Amino acid sequence: MTSLELRNISKGFKSGKVLEDISLSVKAGEIVVVFGPSGTGKTVLLRMIAGVHYPDTGSIAIDGEDVTDASPEARGVGMAFQNFALFPHFSTFENIASPLEARETPPAKLKEQVGAIARMLKIDHVLGHAPRELSNGQKQRTALARALVAQPKVLLLDDPLRNVDAKLRYEMRLELPRLLRTFNAAVIYVTQDYKEAMALGDHIAVLRNGRIEQWAAPGDVYREPISVDVARLFGDPTINLLPCKLEINGTGSVTLLGRRAPVSGAYAYAAGRDLIAGLRPEHVVVTETAAPDAIPFDLDAVMPVNVRSVLYLRGPKGEELLATVGETEAAKFGRGHRKVWVRFAPSDLLLFDAASGQRIAPQVH
Amino acid sequence: MNQISTLERIIRGVLIALVLVFFLFPIFWILLMSFQNNDQILRIPPSLFFEPTLQNYLALLTGRLETTAGNLDIAFMRNLGNSLLLSTCSVLLSLALGVPAAYAFARYKFRLGENIAFTLLSFRFAPPLLVLLPLSLFFKHLHLTDTYIGLIWVYQLICLPLILWIVRGYFEDISPDIEHAYRISGHGWWKTFRKIAIPLARPGIAAAGLLAFIFAWNNFIFALILASASKQPVTVGALAFVTASGIQYGQIAAAIVLSVTPTLLLALYAQRYLVEGLSLGAVKG
Amino acid sequence: MTTATPHAQTATRRPGRHRLTRRALPYLLSLPALLVCIGILIPFFTAVYYSMMRFRLNLPMMKGFIWFDNYISFLSDAAFWNTMSISLLYAFVTVTGELILGLGIALLLVRPTRINNAVSIMLLLPLMTAPALAALMWKLMTNPNFGILSYLVGLLGFTDFRWASDPSTALLTVVLVDVWVYTPFIMILLLAGLRSLPKQPFEAAALDGVPRSFVFFRITLPMLMPYIITASLFRLLDSIQQFDIVYSMTQGGPGDTLMVFQVQSYLEFFQYTNVGRSAALLIVLWAITYALSNLFIKHWLKLRERAHGPA
Repeated sequence: MTSLELRNISKGFKSGKVLEDISLSVKAGEIVVVFGPSGTGKTVLLRMIAGVHYPDTGSIAIDGEDVTDASPEARGVGMAFQNFALFPHFSTFENIASPLEARETPPAKLKEQVGAIARMLKIDHVLGHAPRELSNGQKQRTALARALVAQPKVLLLDDPLRNVDAKLRYEMRLELPRLLRTFNAAVIYVTQDYKEAMALGDHIAVLRNGRIEQWAAPGDVYREPISVDVARLFGDPTINLLPCKLEINGTGSVTLLGRRAPVSGAYAYAAGRDLIAGLRPEHVVVTETAAPDAIPFDLDAVMPVNVRSVLYLRGPKGEELLATVGETEAAKFGRGHRKVWVRFAPSDLLLFDAASGQRIAPQVH
Repeated sequence: MNQISTLERIIRGVLIALVLVFFLFPIFWILLMSFQNNDQILRIPPSLFFEPTLQNYLALLTGRLETTAGNLDIAFMRNLGNSLLLSTCSVLLSLALGVPAAYAFARYKFRLGENIAFTLLSFRFAPPLLVLLPLSLFFKHLHLTDTYIGLIWVYQLICLPLILWIVRGYFEDISPDIEHAYRISGHGWWKTFRKIAIPLARPGIAAAGLLAFIFAWNNFIFALILASASKQPVTVGALAFVTASGIQYGQIAAAIVLSVTPTLLLALYAQRYLVEGLSLGAVKG
Repeated sequence: MTTATPHAQTATRRPGRHRLTRRALPYLLSLPALLVCIGILIPFFTAVYYSMMRFRLNLPMMKGFIWFDNYISFLSDAAFWNTMSISLLYAFVTVTGELILGLGIALLLVRPTRINNAVSIMLLLPLMTAPALAALMWKLMTNPNFGILSYLVGLLGFTDFRWASDPSTALLTVVLVDVWVYTPFIMILLLAGLRSLPKQPFEAAALDGVPRSFVFFRITLPMLMPYIITASLFRLLDSIQQFDIVYSMTQGGPGDTLMVFQVQSYLEFFQYTNVGRSAALLIVLWAITYALSNLFIKHWLKLRERAHGPA
């Protein structure tokens, strides 16, 4: 059953068009992450679903009912804002109780429901406090509690973990999916953090230039990005991109870094095109000793990042490459400034058309 | 600058004392006069020490004045009542009209709003007679001369612009997301206005109201032109009082004291907001 | 599976009735303010109209449209030039005096000690007094028979000092009242301005041992200039239209020594019932204040932005 449905939503302001032909649907209990760099209109999209802005064209339906022109209070959605937007002159209790109070819930039931959700979010001990006395983490939980307390059909979360410190953000990233599943609402979660998107979403809508560039499950977005830009947005460090050309001589191959790498014949249709080959840093194999098919590289620096290390490599023609290796592996390389050998599996290559940036998929017969 | 020589401190102190004397002496002196009878007032040299008397105030309060020429009825208390009535009603009306308009100007950017704001601002600096003189002719036709309603309407010219400028700034300072969150929670715009916008802007509304009251009370020219003796506030009434013959000087002083005390007390009470209000928001108080 | 856009089902559409009420809301809210605006504009344009007429209330049959004759007649009218010069003189003398005095007091009180703050609050009182009543107070104080000021001035050797009744000292007297009432306004504004100035330049100057007069003229004054200009323009605007103080004190007298614009216009209307001339006089005054107010608003908005952040 589809709880939330957007069709052909467009929105423009005096400064220009922000959203163009956005369509998506979210089922009850599903979490859809709207992901994109800042300024791409993610917040505008959320606000249109909530009723704060109104779309220029298109329709919005909740549970099959058209709400495109409905006022915010009539839509029955819950929303948690990035900057919390708590009512400063209400207590925490009154903040959370607000949606129930609007629905004229009797006082006893209201108290019970507010208490229940406060316990669930571990803020029951600050219910009597004013918002300014709360920590950022507590404020965010209050905003969440307020959004959830009336069991809305649609839940909108506008980058709720952005203003929360790193440790708490990590904890909440684990806690949120569990919390949200108990409510069975259709959830739209907006974020700029791709790790958050991949951790929380059942589906990810990648928003760029006002359009949905890709709509897929997190793993698919990572493994099969629809374009170079999407490939760049997901992955840390950023994916390695190298120009190359596709040749077909019986079987297909691309010439990359001076070596010929065989690719499936299913790419034959793209013969002769200028391509960009993408290789994720974790797929770059670095060894101390030469191996067949390995290319000599200069290892310029080794940068430890948590339990991995990023290797900065420079090729014979000046090509720059990043590789990630585990801690123990990295130890072998010391501080860098030495020669190493680089290999990769051709099947790990992602091929993109140089002109359009779109990924080339192997043609299926 | 932490190094201030003692000499400088003394000079500073003397100068401040002189300034205080200059600005507070008139009020102080009139206050003294209001407790003196005519003989004491006319005594030369004037002295700070005398037997105070309440007869001036009594005469004003009871409305009867005993002079050497006989008994006189003074309607000064009525002037005081008029001031109170006109100022209070004008401020209440201007708040009722101005606060929603200030909200509209703060939250919505629309051409008409900017034009209204500009016109009212522009006429704040225009000579009042320019509007008042034709208005006095109109009032004659509309039978609004010498009515409280006519005066309260005209007083909006003083109060409304003040309310609009001060309160608009306070509404603009409230983050719109707070109002959005309240509406998404399920409340309509009127409830949002009442329960969120107004409470959060309350200091500004109070400040604007107090300031508007003070300006309405102190107004002279509007009432001079459009009110007759029975509806005059104290500013006009006091002048008429003075020019009437046979009035005791102590009573004039007492009348001035009674006329001036309300605004002075209000000013002391609201002084936190005065800077911001007087400069129309150019300086944050 | 990866698709470019997800599949969406059809949904029914409801008419957009709510859109209209949404659009109308701001206009409804500002309707009363609009009415007041109209209530101001109608008399204003009427006044413009009257100013171009020969119109005396006691001679209604002589009413007629004469275009700009009223204005042209001003050019050769001694009374008009008297009004113009007195008004300008009054405005400039009061504003200059208030500026110097206000700045001096603000500098005295600039440090936010308890005493200084208490003093600045006390100094608000004259500003909150009705100017008409302030004039009355000073009238009593300058009364030749019992006025304390007459007495004090007599001690200095000026016997028979007639204050407002004497043409040579009338202007001085009303200027004194004006300064008494309005200096606190400039003082408050400049004090707030002084306290909001950034501390670094002054700290740096103190470290470098720069003499105080230099600091004042080359650092303080230039940084304070926006406040000074705004405050001066504001007071100039009010001062040139002064009515309350002058009318309460002398009704424009003695003779016509204090015939400032609005007093003159008032008398033209009520004493001579010359509506046309009265209106023309006011339009001239309005033109001056309009020009000044545009200048003022520009500076005021800049200060406002500084205090509140960009609109």
